[in-house]
Amino acid sequence: MLEISIFSILAMFMLGGSIAMISNKQTLFSAFGFLVAMIGLAGMFALLDSRFLALAQIMVSVGAVVVLSMLTILTINAKEENMPHEPNKFKWIIVSSILVTPFTLLLYKTLSSVHQNFSEMETVSSKVVGKLLFSEWVLPFEIVSILLLTAMVGAIVIARKSDKTSKEQS
Amino acid sequence: MSTSAIVIAIISFALGALLALLTIPVLVWLERRVAGLVQDRLGPNRTNIGGFRLGGVVQSFADVVKLLLKEEYYPSHIKSGKWLFMLAPIITFAAALLAFMAIPFADSMIIDGESLRISALPIDFGVFWYMAISAIGVLGVIFGGWLSHNKYSLLGAARASSMVVSYELPLGLSILAFIITYDTVDFNAMVAWQSGTFFGFLPSWGILVQPLAAIILIVSLFAETNRNPFTVAEGESEIVAGFMTEYTAMKFAMYFMGEYVAMNTASAVIITMIFGGYQIPWVSTEMLLENFSTFAVSLMVVVPIIVTILIRWMRKNNTVRPTVSTDGGRDFETKVLTIVMIGMTLLVEAILIYLAFLTDSALANNIAITLFQIVVFVVKLMMFNIFFILIRWTVPRFRYDQVQKLGWYYLLPLALLNIFITAIVVVGVNL
Repeated sequence: MLEISIFSILAMFMLGGSIAMISNKQTLFSAFGFLVAMIGLAGMFALLDSRFLALAQIMVSVGAVVVLSMLTILTINAKEENMPHEPNKFKWIIVSSILVTPFTLLLYKTLSSVHQNFSEMETVSSKVVGKLLFSEWVLPFEIVSILLLTAMVGAIVIARKSDKTSKEQS
Repeated sequence: MSTSAIVIAIISFALGALLALLTIPVLVWLERRVAGLVQDRLGPNRTNIGGFRLGGVVQSFADVVKLLLKEEYYPSHIKSGKWLFMLAPIITFAAALLAFMAIPFADSMIIDGESLRISALPIDFGVFWYMAISAIGVLGVIFGGWLSHNKYSLLGAARASSMVVSYELPLGLSILAFIITYDTVDFNAMVAWQSGTFFGFLPSWGILVQPLAAIILIVSLFAETNRNPFTVAEGESEIVAGFMTEYTAMKFAMYFMGEYVAMNTASAVIITMIFGGYQIPWVSTEMLLENFSTFAVSLMVVVPIIVTILIRWMRKNNTVRPTVSTDGGRDFETKVLTIVMIGMTLLVEAILIYLAFLTDSALANNIAITLFQIVVFVVKLMMFNIFFILIRWTVPRFRYDQVQKLGWYYLLPLALLNIFITAIVVVGVNL
């Protein structure tokens, strides 16, 4: 009972945060919604007794992603007037959430039976996670890091002024 | 869970909360008195309750009363998001407070074969906890700075966040070097690792085993806690008070206290990771437990000496200048405090005599050693806090570009280099 009530509170936080993030006009309130959703997600991990993942979630998503996105918000100084005009925003949110309900039910049915295929594990300590990452899962891990590296290089290339434009400006 | 486990858990949680919250007035007082010491003046020492000044600590409580009774003022230009404007200082304060909770105050007590942690939260990955929770603190600064709708606040918030982002990297990398060396992410196991010796005679403290990483850790923690010489986020001469400009009364006090709690937490992390935590050098908990009577007798000798020095120091200093007519209140305070100190010493001696000679209950010895370690921890914590304060009043503030340059050009490459060297040494030793 306690577990269910904690789960519902966390789920409410996550849903509310996510909706606040996409629907708010002021960018900083969107960031706050993102923060609430991420802390709710960390709480979900903690509820599953996977305390290392919960803290890693806070460390990466809150400590790095949210702070960096807020830093971006501070530097680009996005004004409310510059945001795209979106009338009937909440109507669209409600309609689209009704539209995806069948898909959600399908996902629920599939995913609720997935856990039977995995072996039960006690609490996951950081040592176990590290050893698994660098032995059994080392190839996916490295592929993910190459993906991240590619994304970073791409971002730098996009952000960099090409020689042509910089010459034109000068 | 047995009864003793529950009792220990409650006591350690209360101790953690007390150590984090009660040190705030003490730290505010220390800040002013040490500033006075550095600038060759006295600092606040007049406020008293019934003649008791306690060297001026009472001033901090008077400040709290002042801040509580001040008018709560909201800038009228803040139209939307007043709730987040109010929540922002609370986020900073709560994050700093929570980050303190993973620090061990004494070695795990073993009662009936059950190992019980003496830290507010009994978790075995304290380093992750500290890194994760302390990162939330800067969010409060950003929210506050942005929602103030003020150019100075915005600049302060931008500076604070970019500084924290740049110093998180050297901080994480230096902590990584310690994790490789100690082979654990548990604060308590880190302290246990540091209780041995190194080259035969040096205590194997982190600062001696990993000097470079220790220096990087200290410098980046200074930056993370927004202390001088890294106070660019609130530099008065440039941007008024930075992100705190629009804040008044208790909301301002939350930021103010959050800074001190963060400083306290940083000191606790530093002493736990590189200064041997709650242990005195060369002596581990097992050694204390095995030679308990020797330990008790030596404590019986040391405590009266310290108390005598303290009383003599108080008698000499707690007076007014000879040219001014004598102050009866101070004499009365000195008299009462002397009696209290002597009484407490006698009590401690009696307890030690009972423990050393009249009983051999292992539990009682265990509790005595835990209490001793808590005292050692608090003394070390206060010493490092004084170090933080001394640095603030001696080193001038860096310019903003110098701060960024130090972080990215010097600390980050040094930390990376240090990880390489550490990895080579650790692999070489294990071969």
